[in-house]
Amino acid sequence: MSARLRLVLAVAALAAPPAARAAEVAPAPKADPADTIAAIIDRHLTADWEARGIRPAARTDDAEFARRAYLDLIGRAPRAPETREFIDDANPNKRAALVDRLLTLPGHAGHFAAVTRAAWLPQTTTNFQLANAGVQFENWLRIRYRENTPADEVVRRILTVPFTVNTQNPMFRFVQPTGNDPDATNLVGFYQANEARPENLGSAVSRLFVGVRLECAQCHDHPFARYTREQFWEFAAFFAETSPLPATAPSFVGPLPPQGNKNRITIANTQKQVVAKFFDGTSPEWTDARTPRQELADWLTRPENPYFAQNAVNRMWAHFFGIGILDPVDEPGDNNPPSHPALLDELGRAFVAARFDNRALVRGITRSRAYQLSSKTTHPSQSDPRWFARMSLKGLTPAQLFDSMVAATGHREPGFMRQNQFNFNAQPNNPRSAFLNRFASNEKATEANTTILQALMLMNGQFVTDVTSIEKGEVLGAIAEMPGWDSRQRVTALFLNAFARNPSPEELEKFASYVDRGGTSGDPKKALADVFWVLLNSPEFLFNH
Amino acid sequence: MSEFRVPRSALRTLDRRHFLRAGAVSTAVSMSGWMGELALAAEQAKAKPKRSCILLWMNGGPSTIDLWDLKPGHENGGPFKEISTTAPGLKIGEHLPKIAMHGDRLAVLRGMTTKEGDHARGTYLMRTGQLPGAAGIQYPSIGALVSKELGDPRAELPNFLSIAPQRFFAQEAFGPGFLGPVHAPLIVGENQAFNPNAPGTMVDDALKVADLAKPKAIDGTTASVRLDLLREMQEDFAAGRPGQMARSHAAAYDRAIRLMQSDGARIFDLATEPEKTRDKYGRNLFGQGCLLARRLVEKGVPFVEVSLGNWDTHGQNFDQVKNLCGSLDAAWGALMDDLKDRGLLDTTTIVWMGEFGRTPKINQGNGRDHYPNAWSTVLAGGGIKGGQAVGKTSKDGTTVEERPTTTLDMLATLCMALGIDYEKTNPSNVGRPIRIVDKPCNPVTEVVA
Repeated sequence: MSARLRLVLAVAALAAPPAARAAEVAPAPKADPADTIAAIIDRHLTADWEARGIRPAARTDDAEFARRAYLDLIGRAPRAPETREFIDDANPNKRAALVDRLLTLPGHAGHFAAVTRAAWLPQTTTNFQLANAGVQFENWLRIRYRENTPADEVVRRILTVPFTVNTQNPMFRFVQPTGNDPDATNLVGFYQANEARPENLGSAVSRLFVGVRLECAQCHDHPFARYTREQFWEFAAFFAETSPLPATAPSFVGPLPPQGNKNRITIANTQKQVVAKFFDGTSPEWTDARTPRQELADWLTRPENPYFAQNAVNRMWAHFFGIGILDPVDEPGDNNPPSHPALLDELGRAFVAARFDNRALVRGITRSRAYQLSSKTTHPSQSDPRWFARMSLKGLTPAQLFDSMVAATGHREPGFMRQNQFNFNAQPNNPRSAFLNRFASNEKATEANTTILQALMLMNGQFVTDVTSIEKGEVLGAIAEMPGWDSRQRVTALFLNAFARNPSPEELEKFASYVDRGGTSGDPKKALADVFWVLLNSPEFLFNH
Repeated sequence: MSEFRVPRSALRTLDRRHFLRAGAVSTAVSMSGWMGELALAAEQAKAKPKRSCILLWMNGGPSTIDLWDLKPGHENGGPFKEISTTAPGLKIGEHLPKIAMHGDRLAVLRGMTTKEGDHARGTYLMRTGQLPGAAGIQYPSIGALVSKELGDPRAELPNFLSIAPQRFFAQEAFGPGFLGPVHAPLIVGENQAFNPNAPGTMVDDALKVADLAKPKAIDGTTASVRLDLLREMQEDFAAGRPGQMARSHAAAYDRAIRLMQSDGARIFDLATEPEKTRDKYGRNLFGQGCLLARRLVEKGVPFVEVSLGNWDTHGQNFDQVKNLCGSLDAAWGALMDDLKDRGLLDTTTIVWMGEFGRTPKINQGNGRDHYPNAWSTVLAGGGIKGGQAVGKTSKDGTTVEERPTTTLDMLATLCMALGIDYEKTNPSNVGRPIRIVDKPCNPVTEVVA
């Protein structure tokens, strides 16, 4: 679609009432799993709020909901026409409809793939040797999200991809795909990022797909949970093929075990060998036909395994609420119980029943009352984020921030710059790269800190200076020069672009009169630039609320 | 600073509500209060804190058996020799000759025995005294703790600077934890890890505070009015959404503005140093970072850390350590010289450490692996009784035989040297007060002057 055509359509959408959309709503033929999931959430949280005497926050207004949904689902705030269209839409089911529509956009697959890659393979963002593995793995994830591949299949594909490990260079084990799987080149990035070491792979798989952080059990028994050092190495042994034991001479006593040494590993700094075993203490029936990794994938993703579904649900929950039902998401234990164990359990079952359908989960969570609560505190009982009685503030990822900047300011970005997703070094004259570099963080979304350097960049940096200048700022220039508009209309347009909402009457009065007076210079256009600068530096723009 | 002053006429253009609020709210948030605070800061700047701390952070786990506690004659010892220092009886590795000239000011803690051999967890442990994730407490880094105790909250320069950190293993270990964003470090020269041999101009640029000057097209009056309008937006937003994130946003802007108005830009401009001085520190990120640390300490900044990376020497340990010693020795030696010349060595405590030591046993790739069981850290300068090594490891370097020293012991010793009461408590994010250095700790009083 050409830019011009898009513009015409956007304008047309603003002019015509969205009657067609309202007519589309038809009664669902059978129970939508999303409704089931939303009902589970509402039932548990409502009961919990009552039991604790909590008065939850108000429902979000449409503008706040739209901004939140855009940021959470496609990784950027809505553009002004998108916001306006949503606010004006008369469809009573427009929130669910918006989520359904966002799920079909390429931006959704892109955002979820980026977020998942950053969570699953954080090394690829910080170790430049692994950058390419990260890019390839993310490409593969993007297709999975676009096709809505079930969560169990995604993990099964990762765990069973065929490869060999080239250990000639002891400092860098190189993982090479084998066989005819066309995705293998992309998938081996998972193993490459974990240095193809059984202990790294074991702890990554445990953390990411079981929801249990085992790293400390690598050296000693886990201080909090019930996992021992031996269990850690037994789990790592499912990846023993990446660190083959020295070949043993054929024995005259009995046949070789079916797996040879592929499921056997030596505990580091000891002589002790262990054989692969699941956390629950069971072992596969080893046969020649099936590799340890296949056994692990099957055990992990079979419906009777509650860990897998609960971990997937909890991580998705944390994406939308900023904090998991179990939080940190990978540290279960007596000292860190889930806030709502029964809810997590039932959501896990519902996710299994929905055949690990990620979109059903997303649609369910976003339909819940809790997701649609305002972030504005109205009662002290809402203060503890673990009770989900108001939406927590979330920091933006660097990409979310920059993409929202682009949406708000009309910045035109050359395509090659959009590919940049790593923060090793800021490239000169590449604003996206500069933002990704400056805003890189691995803090929890609900505990994001603003740094002095970030503040300086937003106040004084070249990019913000350009997009808030009448000459260079696309959106600002257009708003300042729109014929026939008064200051109130111009200020309203700035608010819609930056905050995805209309200004309050007070705000409108204050800023329009500031513009009318021409700010500090007597020039209303420069005063508009001041207003835009203020909005882009405000927490309301910089946070997901 | 004067160009930021707002004429009354400009303020008059704002609405009535603004004036009502500016009068009603505390001075910390209104425009006039903000200006007042700056004037106060100028006064306060004259009263410098008595003590400063420079942390030389060795990212990756330094091979202390090749630097501070050599094992000549043992197969674990490797090829390096010992050399004498200016302190009788104190010997260190041969690749640290300039530091050896300051042996009388060094106290080597040879009994370090810690619990974590993982980069992220070891980093968190050594920098906070705690293990990550324990009971949901967000522990502050030692830099934040010292900055809170010794810093002036109204100073123009931040009280905690981190130069060239490589935080990707454990970002939280560099942060302020429950002390809050006010005590977060200002970071310069980050993400240069992959370009250790960058040319001088790149190093100079990396060590500057980016975007410190306001855009040329924006005059002082406009800048002030913008900030005032922004402050109102911040307040409106935070009123409905109280919490750390909104507070952090406001704090970062406050501190950024303060820094813009100080002579900070000049301090970070190393081109104002004589060429000879700059050469002496070494024309690399760590060397120039140490020079910047000296300049900041001269301005009264209480905590500055400078990171030197690439100590994760699993392969070819000895080539790499020798190479790293070139940077370390020149920079630290020059820093000791300069602090001494300026009379600052008695008030500036230097601590040298990484996240753990390395295995005494040399691996097949001529490298050494992670080893927290027996290793060394070093304290030097202010408050430290130098010229000695405390603690002793076995002949093969694998175990501590005398004066085992934990992370908490070492941090408590550092606090004593800095004149900080390590038993003092701070309120934490879990509601119970937490000591600066937790129990059990047994400071190495032998090295405290």
